[in-house]
Amino acid sequence: MADQMADQAASQQTAVYVYEAPVRIWHWVNAFAIIALCVTGYFIGSPLSSVSGEASDHYVMGYMRFVHFAAAYIFIIGFVFRAYWAIVGNSHSREIYLPRIFSKDFWDELWHEIKWYSFLVDEPKKYTGHNPLAILAMHLMFVWGSIFMIISGLALYGEGAGMGSWQYQFFSSWLIPLMGQSQDVHTYHHLVMWLLIIFAIIHIYVAVREDIMSRQSIISSMISGWRLFKDNRPSND
Amino acid sequence: MAIQTPNGFTLDTSGERVVVDPVTRIEGHMRCEVNVNSDNIITNAVSTGTMWRGLEVILKNRDPRDAWAFVQRICGVCTGTHALTSVRAVEDALNIEIPDNANSIRNIMQLSLEIHDHLVHFYHLHALDWVNPINALKADPRDTSALQKASSPRHPKSSPGYFRDIQNRLKKFVESGQLGPFKNGYWDNPAYILPPEADLMAVTHYLEALDFQKEIMKTRTIFGGKDPHPNWLVGGVPCPINIDGEGSVGAINMESLNHVRSIINQTIEFVDNVYIPDIIAIGKIYYDAGWHYGGGISGTDALAYGDIPDKPNDFSAKNLMMPRGAIIKGNLNEVHEVDHRDPEQIQEFVPHSWYKYDDESKGLHPWDGVTDPNYELGPKTIGTRTDIKQLDEAAKYSWIKAPRWRGNAMEVGPLSRYLVGYASKHTEFTDQITDTLGALGNAPVSALFTTIGRTAARALEAQWCAYKQRYFLDKMIANIKAGDETTANTESWDPSTWPKEVKGVGFTEAPRGALAHWIRIKDQKIENYQCVVPTTWNGSPRDNEGNIGAFEASLMNTKVERPHEPVEILRTIHSFDPCLACSTH
Amino acid sequence: METFYDVMRRQGITRRSFLKYCSLTAAALGLGPSFAPKIAHAMETKERIPVLWLHGLECTCCSESFIRSAHPLAKDVVLSMLSLDYDDTIMAAAGHEAEAIIEEIVTKYKGKYLLAVEGNPPLNEDGMYCIIGGKPFTDQLTYASQHAKAIISWGSCASWGCVQAARPNPTRATPVHKVPGIGNKPIIKVPGCPPIAEVMTAVVTYILTFERFPELDRQGRPKMFYSQRIHDKCYRRPHFDAGQFVEKWDDEGAKKGYCLYKMGCKGPTTYNACSTVRWNGGLSFPIQAGHGCIGCSEDGFWDKGGFYDRLTDIHQFGIEANADEIGVGAATVVGAAAAAHAAVSAVKQARTKGDND
Ligand code: HEM
Ligand code: HEM
Ligand code: NFV
Ligand code: SF4
Ligand code: SF4
Ligand code: F3S
Ligand SMILES: [Mg+2]
Repeated sequence: MADQMADQAASQQTAVYVYEAPVRIWHWVNAFAIIALCVTGYFIGSPLSSVSGEASDHYVMGYMRFVHFAAAYIFIIGFVFRAYWAIVGNSHSREIYLPRIFSKDFWDELWHEIKWYSFLVDEPKKYTGHNPLAILAMHLMFVWGSIFMIISGLALYGEGAGMGSWQYQFFSSWLIPLMGQSQDVHTYHHLVMWLLIIFAIIHIYVAVREDIMSRQSIISSMISGWRLFKDNRPSND
Repeated sequence: MAIQTPNGFTLDTSGERVVVDPVTRIEGHMRCEVNVNSDNIITNAVSTGTMWRGLEVILKNRDPRDAWAFVQRICGVCTGTHALTSVRAVEDALNIEIPDNANSIRNIMQLSLEIHDHLVHFYHLHALDWVNPINALKADPRDTSALQKASSPRHPKSSPGYFRDIQNRLKKFVESGQLGPFKNGYWDNPAYILPPEADLMAVTHYLEALDFQKEIMKTRTIFGGKDPHPNWLVGGVPCPINIDGEGSVGAINMESLNHVRSIINQTIEFVDNVYIPDIIAIGKIYYDAGWHYGGGISGTDALAYGDIPDKPNDFSAKNLMMPRGAIIKGNLNEVHEVDHRDPEQIQEFVPHSWYKYDDESKGLHPWDGVTDPNYELGPKTIGTRTDIKQLDEAAKYSWIKAPRWRGNAMEVGPLSRYLVGYASKHTEFTDQITDTLGALGNAPVSALFTTIGRTAARALEAQWCAYKQRYFLDKMIANIKAGDETTANTESWDPSTWPKEVKGVGFTEAPRGALAHWIRIKDQKIENYQCVVPTTWNGSPRDNEGNIGAFEASLMNTKVERPHEPVEILRTIHSFDPCLACSTH
Repeated sequence: METFYDVMRRQGITRRSFLKYCSLTAAALGLGPSFAPKIAHAMETKERIPVLWLHGLECTCCSESFIRSAHPLAKDVVLSMLSLDYDDTIMAAAGHEAEAIIEEIVTKYKGKYLLAVEGNPPLNEDGMYCIIGGKPFTDQLTYASQHAKAIISWGSCASWGCVQAARPNPTRATPVHKVPGIGNKPIIKVPGCPPIAEVMTAVVTYILTFERFPELDRQGRPKMFYSQRIHDKCYRRPHFDAGQFVEKWDDEGAKKGYCLYKMGCKGPTTYNACSTVRWNGGLSFPIQAGHGCIGCSEDGFWDKGGFYDRLTDIHQFGIEANADEIGVGAATVVGAAAAAHAAVSAVKQARTKGDND
């Protein structure tokens, strides 16, 4: 209720500070890490054409895997940090972790958002944070997808690091039998990459579209942190 | 009450019924029931395959290029022969020609299997039907040494001290009271007639053969990476040849070829100096004692597909080094052509097998074969569904189907191959047969059509195979010398190049006999896959007309010393080297 | 370890009848009465651990592999290390005499014998896809498992199910540890299709030598042989790291021994000792002979898609395609939907603008 009032008040203003600097930095670091992970991951699964000459003169797969693991650790540390920030940061920092699914408004707004995307209503509502549809997609596809990639990635990493490694003990040892065998872990790790790619496609498309068509700033918000509104009318009218 | 079978046997079930289940020292699970009359003569025989795994069902919708790995697991004893049959079937369907080197390598691998399988069969699965290890303790090692030197002068392990050591080890083993595999054997049964020195010699060779057999298969480790279950490839073989280029140590090179040659030489030596002399020595004692049982249909209905193509990709009889053809009704003057594609020739029947057909009065050609399990017992069964005391052979009673060639129950295996070779007047085989009959004291040809003959044919074949390995190694080296190092043809590797619907058949002579796989490929996937396996032929139950199969026929009219000690039943059944995992698959 | 004599005494058998048993044994074996005291002496002193080696649905290639062992020789294992009292593939006895052995060992050596299982039992059709002595194999297996000291699951059949359990598993072939009614005993899995001979004999000799069971991983496999993947110790690994792959059978890369990853090698996902122990006395292993690993020691390796595909098939939810096929398909649909959505949005935006103007 209080939240709603605050939102209502905010919608009257033209600018609100939404994304704190750590979130913004994280967002872009994370975006680049994921792109690196997808590219290298894809080529781990389907390597480039062979190079000729002495094996000792090349390290193509080695570098591919090195970049993957380096990006993976950046991604993991970022994710852990972002989760920490969800606790200490402002209310917007929690949105995608704990979607307000117990609030009726959330579902009403979600319905409205669906209608907006189906061209059934002429105007979206105003949101200081993410719109509910975005929250749901981010929570289900991004948050859980990332958790899965981290766990399964570490489990795969533990296989190479060996049974004595912490990665093996904490991840490989239970995840592999749970999923069947090592090959299944690879398969699902690979499959969920596509889930993240699909999320990214939708996400970027929607970001650009909303930037143009919604009633607030979008892309620049993730750069400056400030949400600017394009009109002074209340959210609902 | 007696019944006459169309293939010439009189079945009488009035005598006592004796059940042997499990039949041991075979591959897989088998049951045998016989009726014995008051003279201890077998008057009715029922053989049952007691396992089924459903490989033909499992293969549906899979990639035909993977099929070899699945069917290879039909059997680890005749490991590889199903795989070879499978890649041949796929290559036949897709018109793939394999390179010359691949043909030589496949032949060497197949030949090593024949030798290994025969050797292990004789010493480790069959010998205890003839040889009494406990009796060996009574031997004087000096007599054994003399016997060894007389029967095989070239075998180096023949001193009295050597046999004494083995005997002492055996003694310690027996005295421990823990008889291991010899426990509960039938060691005081009068069916064992060898003198102690022969028993000691044979037991010694049991152990020598156990140590040696693992060497034979090393050729397959070199070409196929491991054994059992080496690797194969549709279109050739997976191992590349690189004689002098960069990285040649990782491929087939001079070192590996030398290794193969050394294994082949050792194998020839062992077969010549141990296996063949033992067969002659033991066979002669039993033959001379009048033990001439077990012929069954071996002399009348024999089938061989042929194998070991000299030139690659030519499966006609003249290019196959192992004989091809069918003999029926005992007419050795006519060797019939065998055509795997003719829907009238090879058919499988199921009225007495635990499977369902829409119309069980008819047989099905394997391209149209159906494998649909249906476990049900006849009304005269004694016992329950899960505790069978006695089967009702008038109904369904086996997991083995009943394959027939133009309606005839056929025997397959080394003896059938030798019979077809003999009838085709193929000198390589007639010479070996003449020598053996001579060694048995100028025995007539009919001596072959017995349990002893079946066992002897296997040894002769092992010898033939050992020398043929050398032929293919030389051939391959000559081919490499001429500049050809190719081992695989990958033109049709990619399934998108395949026709929408094709079918093919591949065959081999497996150690136990004629083996073929029929495949239908549709939309790049297996639509139907049917295997008709040597032990399916030999171990087949009755068919729609009541013909009994080769196992059953071979037991008929055998005298058993003690009906409740199945020594003679085991002896004859074992002479086929039954493989039940194969038979039902 | 308790001797045979101790066991008999414990069961209330007198020395008199023990000696009688020995002379009967000697007689049954066709040996003279002079053997009786020797048998008695042996039974009172030392014991080899009894082993029951049962066979279910299988191909016997685990046994075949076992006899290929170079060190120790299979002969020495069977004659001197253990007492292989039941093994239908090599035992002399058949029928009732064979079946009697199981009962004898189970009663006389309660808790002291090892149960080795090759193959597995089918559960469909009341187990009658595998019959022994007229009864389902499950009966024999569960009975023998009750009083075993431990169970060794030989090969992928006993450990995981293997080929007969491949889809659609028509007989419901079931690995040993999942068989209802199986004794609650330690189960040592020695997977592989078949396992390496020297690994099999090493597991047995380890138990006999150190009088304890090898350390197992979470899935019950001895760590000493199954803790690393083929890929971790593969001699072609430098080519993998370099990005040098066999692209086609029998190509230049194949002749030079490049990595078989693109030919579908499952070495990166397979736990086994092939690349270190190797096969047949350390001679070679599948990859060395030019074919990829097919993953034969892994659970369900038959149902992961083609052996020649690097990316494996997914079979859940009625789909049959690999991750990239599914991913590219789904991403294309989503991408196309976004493009269409963008087009409609643009039209709509233009119209609204027009209305406003
Ligand atoms: C967005 C996140 C990620 C994406 C999109 C991604 C993608 C991929 C892909 C497609 C593969 C190839 C899988 C195959 O087909 O075998 C792969 C392999 C792998 N990934 Fe990731 N990954 C991600 C995160 C991680 C993380 C967090 C780790 C943790 C260390 C990780 C470790 C690995 C490892 C060890 C492999 C196997 C490398 C090999 O087989 O040599 N990944 N990844
Ligand atoms: C060119 C690429 C990208 C652009 C332009 C972009 C843009 C944005 C914008 C504008 C927002 C704020 C949305 C809002 O205010 O509702 C946002 C948030 C977010 N983006 Fe991106 N993004 C990009 C790439 C990615 C990628 C690759 C990922 C990960 C797969 C990603 C994950 C996220 C997440 C999880 C949030 C929510 C942040 C939070 O609330 O903590 N973004 N992005
Ligand atoms: N019967 C049979 Fe086999 C053979 N030889 C094969 O096809 O043993 Ni397992
Ligand atoms: S695990 Fe493989 S090799 Fe062993 S019995 Fe089963 S199918 Fe044969
Ligand atoms: S051949 Fe197989 S196991 Fe060896 S490095 Fe390549 S992928 Fe790994
Ligand atoms: S296929 Fe099996 S034999 Fe070894 S290399 Fe792979 S685990
Ligand atoms: Mg069949």
